[in-house]
Amino acid sequence: MIRLEQVIKLYGETTAVDGLSLEVTRGEVCVLIGPSGCGKTTTLRMVNRLIEPTSGSIFIDGEDTSRIRSEKLRQSIGYAIQSVGLFPHMTVAANIAVVPELLHWEKQSIATRTEELLGLVGLPYAEYVGKFPHQLSGGEAQRIGVARALAADPPMLLMDEPFGAVDPLTRERLQAQFVRIQQDLRKTVILVTHDLDEAIRLADRIAIMEAGRLVQHDTPETILSRPANKFVHDFVGTDRALKRLSRIGITDFVKPAVFVHVDGSVEAAILACSECSWVWVVDDANRLVGWVDRNSLSGASSVRDSVVRGDTEEIALANTATLREALSRMLGQGLRSIPVIDEGWRLAGQVELGDIETATSEARD
Amino acid sequence: MMRTGQARRWLVLGILVAAFIVLITNEQWWEAVFRSLFPEESRVLHPRASLFVLVGEHVLLVLYSSSLTVLIGVPLGIWVTRPGGRSFLPIVSDLTSFGQTFPPVAVLALAVPMLGFGLQPTVLALFLYGLLPVVRNTIAGIGTVSPDLVDAAHGMGMTRARTLVRVEIPIAASVILAGVRISVVINIGTAMIGAVIGAGGLGSPIIAGLVQDNLAYILEGAVPAAILSILVDQFLGNIERNFFHEMDR
Repeated sequence: MIRLEQVIKLYGETTAVDGLSLEVTRGEVCVLIGPSGCGKTTTLRMVNRLIEPTSGSIFIDGEDTSRIRSEKLRQSIGYAIQSVGLFPHMTVAANIAVVPELLHWEKQSIATRTEELLGLVGLPYAEYVGKFPHQLSGGEAQRIGVARALAADPPMLLMDEPFGAVDPLTRERLQAQFVRIQQDLRKTVILVTHDLDEAIRLADRIAIMEAGRLVQHDTPETILSRPANKFVHDFVGTDRALKRLSRIGITDFVKPAVFVHVDGSVEAAILACSECSWVWVVDDANRLVGWVDRNSLSGASSVRDSVVRGDTEEIALANTATLREALSRMLGQGLRSIPVIDEGWRLAGQVELGDIETATSEARD
Repeated sequence: MMRTGQARRWLVLGILVAAFIVLITNEQWWEAVFRSLFPEESRVLHPRASLFVLVGEHVLLVLYSSSLTVLIGVPLGIWVTRPGGRSFLPIVSDLTSFGQTFPPVAVLALAVPMLGFGLQPTVLALFLYGLLPVVRNTIAGIGTVSPDLVDAAHGMGMTRARTLVRVEIPIAASVILAGVRISVVINIGTAMIGAVIGAGGLGSPIIAGLVQDNLAYILEGAVPAAILSILVDQFLGNIERNFFHEMDR
C-alpha cells in the first residue's frame, strides 16, 4: 500500500532521513518510533509531500507520489497532528467538513458524514456540532482531530503523535478508542510517537529509527523478544518482558477452573479443596460469587455460608484483559491464580501465575 | 445569527448617524448656538460652503484615502508574509514607518507641483500617512496564526491560496480590522490639512478661523469632525466585534 524506497532527506549538511526503505501493507498500523531527531516526523511528512524527499521514491498503491499533485495526494490521506490544529474560527462541523468540501461533496452528505463521525469518536452530535474549538477539552479536541482526519473516508491515515498533548488517563482512553475504531475501519496507518508503550499498544508493526535509518521493522512481539541490536535493546528498556505481556491477551492462557455451586454440599467442596486448597463458587447462572477454602469450610453447614465474598470486579479479570493486567492483579491481591469472567460475569476459567512465568521466559529467548 | 447585544449596538449607531445627519443639515441651530457663544463675531458660520457639504467633502477625502490605504496596505502586508515576499518585509516595514514619520504637510508640498492643488495630493498624503497601522497590523495578524494551523491546512490538501483565504485571513481579521480602525480615525483628523491646498472638508472653516481669529469657525470644523471620528470608530468597532463574536458565540 505505502512503500518507501531508498528515501533520503538532506537539510544542508545534515541528513534527516538516510536511505529509508519501508513497506506498510493495507490495513496495517505502522508505528514510527525513535529518539528525538531520528527522522520519524520527517519521514511521515514526506509521505504526503509536506516535505519533498531529496532522493528516493514513495509509492502509494504502486503509484509514485511525486507524480500526483500534492494537494490531491493530501486530500486522499487523513492527517492528524499532536497540536490537533483545529481551526479556531470554525465550528466542529466546519472543521470536520474541510476535506469533504475540498472534494466538493454535497452539503447533505457532509452533514450525514459529520454525524456519523462524531458518533464514531463518541461525542454526542447535537451537543458538539456547533461548538468552537476553544470550548473543547484537550481530549475532545484530539477526538475531533481524528474525526476530521477520517472525514472523507481516506484509505490511509498519517498521525503525528495524535495522542501526545493530553493527560495520561485521557491518552489511554483515546488509544483504546483508536484500537476499537481501527478494528472496524482497517485503515492503513502510519503513526509517529516517542512513547514505546503507545507503540506496543497500537502497532501491528513497529519501525524503530535511529539517526535517519531504519534499525528494526517488525511486530512488537519480535522487537521485544528479539531486538536487532544494542540500540533497540536499550531503547525497549529492561522492562521489555513486562511490555511484552501487555501484547498478549489472556484468552490463550485461560484454564478450566475448579468450582463448586453455591448451594452444593460442603463435603464436595472440601474434597475439591484437597486438590488445590481453594475453589471458586458460582451461582445458578454460573456467575462468580467468591471462593471457599478449607479454613472457611471447616465446621460450616453450607457452602453459601462459608463463601469468602470479594468484590468480583476486584478479583476477576475480563476475558479481554492482557497478561500484564493479570500479573498486576495477582501481585496486587497476593494470589497465584485469578478467575476470568466473560461479558455476562460468568466464570470462564482462571489464569495461573506459573503460565505467565512461562510466557515471560519465552520472551527471554 | 446576530446576538441581541450586537443588534443593539448597530441600532444605537444607526440612531446616532441619523441624529448627526439631522444636526448638520440644520445649520440654523449651529448659528444660534455660536451667536449666543460669540456675540461679538459678525459671521459665525464659514461662508465657503454649507456644513453638510463640508462634512460630505471630508467624508469623501477620508473614504478615498482610507480605501486606498486598505486596498494597498492589506495586500502589501499579506504579501510580505508569503514565502515569495518575505525578503521584502524589512523594506516594507521601514517604508511604511517612514510614511508615517514623514509629515503629511511635507507630502503636500512635494506633491502639489506634480499633482496640482485639490483632492489628489491630499488623498496621496493621507494614504501614505495611514498606511503604517494597516500594514503593521496585517503583518502582525497573519503572524498570530499558529504554524500548526497552516500545517494542518496544507496537510489536509488546501492550496496555499485557500489556506490564506479560509484560515489565515479569517483568524487575522480582528487584528487587521483594528489596524484599519486606527488608520481611519487618524485619517479623519489628518484630513483637515486638505483645506490648505483647496481640497475642502472640515479643515476649511478651521483654517479660516485660525487666519481670521474666529473661534466659531474653528468649532464649526472641529465639532463635526470629532463626532465623525467617534461614529466611524464605533462603526468599525462593531464590524470588528462581529468577527470576534462569530468565534465566541
